[in-house]
Amino acid sequence: MAAMRKTSLAYRLLLSAAGLSFLILLIAGAVLSELNRRSVTQAFDERLRLYLKVLVADVASVTDGAASDIGNLGEPQFQIPLSGWYWQVVRIDQEKDTAVVFRTSRSLISARLDYLVDPNDPKRLADSVDGFITGPDNRQLRILEQLIDLGESNRFYIAVAGGAGEIVTETQSFNTALLITFSFLGAALMASTIIQVRYGLQPLARLRRAVTAIREGKADKIGEEFPIEVAPLALELNQLLDANREIVDRARMQVGNLAHALKTPLSVLVNEADRDDGPLAVKLREQTTVMKDQVQYYLDRARAAARAASVGSLTDVDEVIAAFLRTFPKIYRDRDLVFAAAGEAGLRFRGERQDFEDMVGNLVDNAAKWARGRVDITVSAAAAPVGAPPRLRLTIDDDGPGLPAESREEATRRGRRLDETKPGSGLGLSIVVDLAGLYHGDFSLEESPLGGLRASIILPAV
Amino acid sequence: MRLLVVEDDKDLNRQLVTALQNAGYAVDTAFDGEEGLYLGENEPYDAIVLDLGLPRLDGVSVLEKWRRAGRRMPVLILTARDRWSDKVQGFDAGADDYVTKPFHMEEVLARLRALLRRAAGHATSEFQVGPVLLDTRSSKVVVDGNPVKLTSHEYRLLAYLMHHQGRVVSRSELVEHLYDQDFDRDSNTIEVFIGRLRKKLGVDIIETVRGLGYLIGKVDAKSGEPAKLAP
Repeated sequence: MAAMRKTSLAYRLLLSAAGLSFLILLIAGAVLSELNRRSVTQAFDERLRLYLKVLVADVASVTDGAASDIGNLGEPQFQIPLSGWYWQVVRIDQEKDTAVVFRTSRSLISARLDYLVDPNDPKRLADSVDGFITGPDNRQLRILEQLIDLGESNRFYIAVAGGAGEIVTETQSFNTALLITFSFLGAALMASTIIQVRYGLQPLARLRRAVTAIREGKADKIGEEFPIEVAPLALELNQLLDANREIVDRARMQVGNLAHALKTPLSVLVNEADRDDGPLAVKLREQTTVMKDQVQYYLDRARAAARAASVGSLTDVDEVIAAFLRTFPKIYRDRDLVFAAAGEAGLRFRGERQDFEDMVGNLVDNAAKWARGRVDITVSAAAAPVGAPPRLRLTIDDDGPGLPAESREEATRRGRRLDETKPGSGLGLSIVVDLAGLYHGDFSLEESPLGGLRASIILPAV
Repeated sequence: MRLLVVEDDKDLNRQLVTALQNAGYAVDTAFDGEEGLYLGENEPYDAIVLDLGLPRLDGVSVLEKWRRAGRRMPVLILTARDRWSDKVQGFDAGADDYVTKPFHMEEVLARLRALLRRAAGHATSEFQVGPVLLDTRSSKVVVDGNPVKLTSHEYRLLAYLMHHQGRVVSRSELVEHLYDQDFDRDSNTIEVFIGRLRKKLGVDIIETVRGLGYLIGKVDAKSGEPAKLAP
């Protein structure tokens, strides 16, 4: 299964589309998420910065002695103990290089904030820093720190912190929404890819069905129009089929040539032997008979091989029967036989013309040998179960003496030769039995309404 | 009866010619399609044995050309090709009979006799006029139950006239149909043969029609009287 999937075009297209979509959505998601996080943080910082500004002003006024109260930021959170909102001001003693806590928000109670930058190390102090710290209640805090220098060794380091939970919640909810949206987007992309692949690969499926139809003998070439990517393949396939048929035809021609080449010298030998009664002539007659059988045997085998190699042949039933109706009266000119055909027109046999000719020809020939005055050929579409391939029925009736039931049964068994009082009759029927079997057909003999024998053969049709 | 054998295999051709000559026919031969076509178009054969696989021009084409040129002589196809489609093609091209190789000479002789008989509108292989009986199967002639020994030329002459009984046959027609093309033809010899034939048969069934030729009249089977000539 896995191996089959790997070699599937649809699978490859889907896999690559899925991989690419996933990667693109992932990058886009990460970028969007980061942008959002930044803007949320920035908005939060704006608030903190506002408090910081008020504090800076307060601290400045305290040192001026103008006011004693600092830290009235108008925000009750700074009053509630451990609310997550804190501020803290340290004074930096320049001589001792130490920082002493100057004031803190009430919410801190007795706790202290950890600065991002240690105020005891004044060389490292920058004007303004922001970042995250862990607060006294172990909560994540967003903190802004600022150094203010009021001169006269009045240096303060001020920090305002707020619970970072707000940022986290906001970014998380945004990320969740992002994930859901992008999941739907990904699914939609996959669905559209599947539709595209299905639609795009449709001609390939059609091509496959066309080839199947040829193999099953329902068509003899790929006749549909295909998009330019597939059309050359269809063309090549058609040419391959043509080449195949040509090879078969050539093989048959060569077999025919071989037959001609061998049968003429055989005729010479046979006739030379016929003119003599010596032991040599007897031997020659005996051996030429063997040779004749051998030639016929290998001719039949070559024909069978050629038949197996050819696919998708269709034979026009009417054409073959019309040809036989012209020919048989000439073959049996001395006997005044009437050959008549009736039934449905336009039927086609799904198989080789030569095989069809062999079956019909031998059956009509056999009927003609025994007939007193009449041979009837009837063609019709045979009833086939729903869904099963169509079949045709061919019946050949004669008004001859007919056959007893036991002989009829024996004649329809494969490889049996019936009474040969009329030359060739037994052999002719055995060829019909063999060929009918080869095409999964059905051959039967019964009594004819004309009084003689009725041969029925059911064959695959179109 | 004069026949043409068109067969490219030299041995088979020789065998056919020998067998046909022994059966009392004058025989011409051709070894390829073009030669066969030419002879068949220009010589008045009573029947032709035609192979299909011929060099230069295949047998079916030769036959089609003969038929298109209006040549109506019976043609027996002799071929190795034994498919029904080959037979259909052969008969469609205008063949009268079809024998597949390898064959026995007897079969070809029998089929040819049947073709000639059919061309003469005769139902059996025996021709009887008055007391004279000609058996084409054995090439023998019997008068009143007594066998008569004829030379091959005499036999041919009698057989031709009997195949065309009821019709006046000219001397030149006899010459054309009794001798093969290599024979030194002289219509005066016909008169000599007619004379010998009359003497050997002992009964006068051959009429001389002055200025026209010779006639063996149709004899009514019941009365034994010569039937009336068609006007």
